[in-house]
Amino acid sequence: MSGIEILQIWIIAFFTLALFSFLYKDNPFYRLAENIFAGLTTGYQVSLIWDTVIIQKLWDPMMGGQWWMFLPGLLGLMMFSRFSPKLSWMSRVPLAVVMGITAGIFLTTQLHGFVLPQMQATMSTFVNAEGFAEFFLAALIAVGVISTMIYFYFSHEHVGVLGVTAKLGIWFIMISFGAHFGYTVMGRVSLLIGRTQFLIEDWIGTFSYIF
Amino acid sequence: MTIWERFDNMDRRWVYLMVGLAVIIPFLVPMKFDISITPEVQSFYDAVDNLPDSCTVMLVFDYYPSTAAECEPMAIAAAHHLFRKDCKIITLSNIPYGGPSMAETVTRAIAKEYDKEYGEDFVNLGFKYGPIAVLKGMGISIESIFPTDNSGTPLAELPMMDSVTNYEQVSFIYEIADNATADLWISIVNAGYGVPMGVGCTAVMAPKFYAFLGANQIVGLLGGMKGAAEYEILVGKLGTAYRGMDIQSMVHFVIIALVIIGNIGFFVTKRRNRKKSA
Amino acid sequence: MRTTLPLAVAFITGLVFVITFFLNEESPLVGGVSKQLLDWLIIIGGFTLLLGVVSILRVSWQSVERRKEDWIYKLITILSVLVMAIPGLLPESWSSLFGRQEGTIYDWLFLNLQAPMMATMFATLAFYIASAAYRAFRARTAEATILLVTATLVMLWRVPMGEAFLNLFSEEIPGLINTYIMGGVNLAVQRGIIIGAALGAAAMSLRIILGIERTYMGKS
Repeated sequence: MSGIEILQIWIIAFFTLALFSFLYKDNPFYRLAENIFAGLTTGYQVSLIWDTVIIQKLWDPMMGGQWWMFLPGLLGLMMFSRFSPKLSWMSRVPLAVVMGITAGIFLTTQLHGFVLPQMQATMSTFVNAEGFAEFFLAALIAVGVISTMIYFYFSHEHVGVLGVTAKLGIWFIMISFGAHFGYTVMGRVSLLIGRTQFLIEDWIGTFSYIF
Repeated sequence: MTIWERFDNMDRRWVYLMVGLAVIIPFLVPMKFDISITPEVQSFYDAVDNLPDSCTVMLVFDYYPSTAAECEPMAIAAAHHLFRKDCKIITLSNIPYGGPSMAETVTRAIAKEYDKEYGEDFVNLGFKYGPIAVLKGMGISIESIFPTDNSGTPLAELPMMDSVTNYEQVSFIYEIADNATADLWISIVNAGYGVPMGVGCTAVMAPKFYAFLGANQIVGLLGGMKGAAEYEILVGKLGTAYRGMDIQSMVHFVIIALVIIGNIGFFVTKRRNRKKSA
Repeated sequence: MRTTLPLAVAFITGLVFVITFFLNEESPLVGGVSKQLLDWLIIIGGFTLLLGVVSILRVSWQSVERRKEDWIYKLITILSVLVMAIPGLLPESWSSLFGRQEGTIYDWLFLNLQAPMMATMFATLAFYIASAAYRAFRARTAEATILLVTATLVMLWRVPMGEAFLNLFSEEIPGLINTYIMGGVNLAVQRGIIIGAALGAAAMSLRIILGIERTYMGKS
């Protein structure tokens, strides 16, 4: 392992430990690392956006003869009018482009990509079930989908049949949220494992070279 | 003050210390429990394995460096699997923080093991802002969205991209994500263009994707580090996810023990208070 | 003008993509218009991110200029932005250290500072979730007990040691958890949420296109 590599690992270890130190209490090392991190993260996207969007998607096509591309450039610059209270209304136009396109795509893809396939799957699993176990699972899913939707989305007062179904929905939801919590614990622990693997295998690994 | 009340008032930093020790101990005392393969990971592996050799696959790095511990082992195992099958890999990212850099680092390192050439066998398209526009636009023309690759080389100069215009030439999408971009791949690309796809995602996201798995919108699911470890086993390249499973086990047991202790304390204190008030 | 123009723009751009969905995207007219508008979306989006950068720099600089509390840290933020951004913006032809490729300053800072720090920030959440589980996860009601029991079963099932523990009782338990909890009840609930949220998103999209939903424009 070269000296440069060891130095790199020690720099990473310093900032890793500085950020972990917040677990004990707030301190200057944590604040230093936190602000460097915020700055680097902001700086990272400056050159990325400049190169991949402004140059490649705007400047190069304009220089290549697509003169009309000044329009999206102008719309983009209009976003900066938000800094001026008098002119901030101008930023509504580029925002309207973003919202309009997104809404146009979402209107169809949300129905075509989510609602229809999910509804179809609920019905087809139920219809295609073979044997008691598959039928039971399909019925469980169908009941779960309906009761969850009733609990979450029906604003009508939950009384009578609606109340019983909504109550069932709560139980289904609690099981799903419990599973979600279990998975969330797993996810957070995995991230900690990643940093610990670095500290123990890489950083402590350098000790044998230094000491 | 009873022992349960003391537990109840314990400084949170003792909990942190217990978690910290649970993470460190398995490094010193490895346990090596068997890792079983779940059907959703097996079906993912089988779907990739059954792809025609030399077909084009999109390997999408839609995760931030923050979740690299969960997602990077998936990306590494995927690259091994795809290169071994001689698939042509197109990598891209919808993440403005680090996605293209991680795609570059992972694929270039693994490509060397399989003697794969950049431009011939794999291409890194890099990043463009706005996943909705990127995903929708690639359905018309990949080159219109990504005029150059991540290094600024025009796509026309990369031999591999000669035969790839849009999704029609893509056989499979291998999406690795830690955010809602995976949903967009399903609703826009899978539903709109019929390209089969599998999702590797963080554990936090995994429960939601069982709904897509059940509807056959995705062929398989790698959920968090466990899913990555299973895929590593199937591919035969054991990496950080596999090694992390011992630690994962230990920390889960510590958290479960803490929850049990907390609940015993809760019931004991509740009973005592009820007796006192009676 | 201040309201009508944005509403007209949202209506036209939205309508283009609704129509595109039903027509052949590869036809010159439909494909050409939608391709053009998607490029516009990418470009405006890029400017929006840069707006965020300028905003952060402005706020930080104001703190430094007015010597507010912790201004020194804000100065560090500004310097870090510049240290990361400038080498990435300078042309590669000047030096192999400039630009965004492997071996550049930009790449080094990303791999050795930004990425590990981002990972560490999220890693600390493991400690907080453990502490939260210990303090708040109580079987106070029947619903809370269901949640607690399911979470415990899933936490056991998802790790090898836990699976070995469950196998002590019956080797079928892990499979049953996967089939009936994850692929059964959880799938059903997630499906219900997905369908409901998608219907909501579609309805909201229609309101935006028709100009009924205007909150994105802020105060008039």
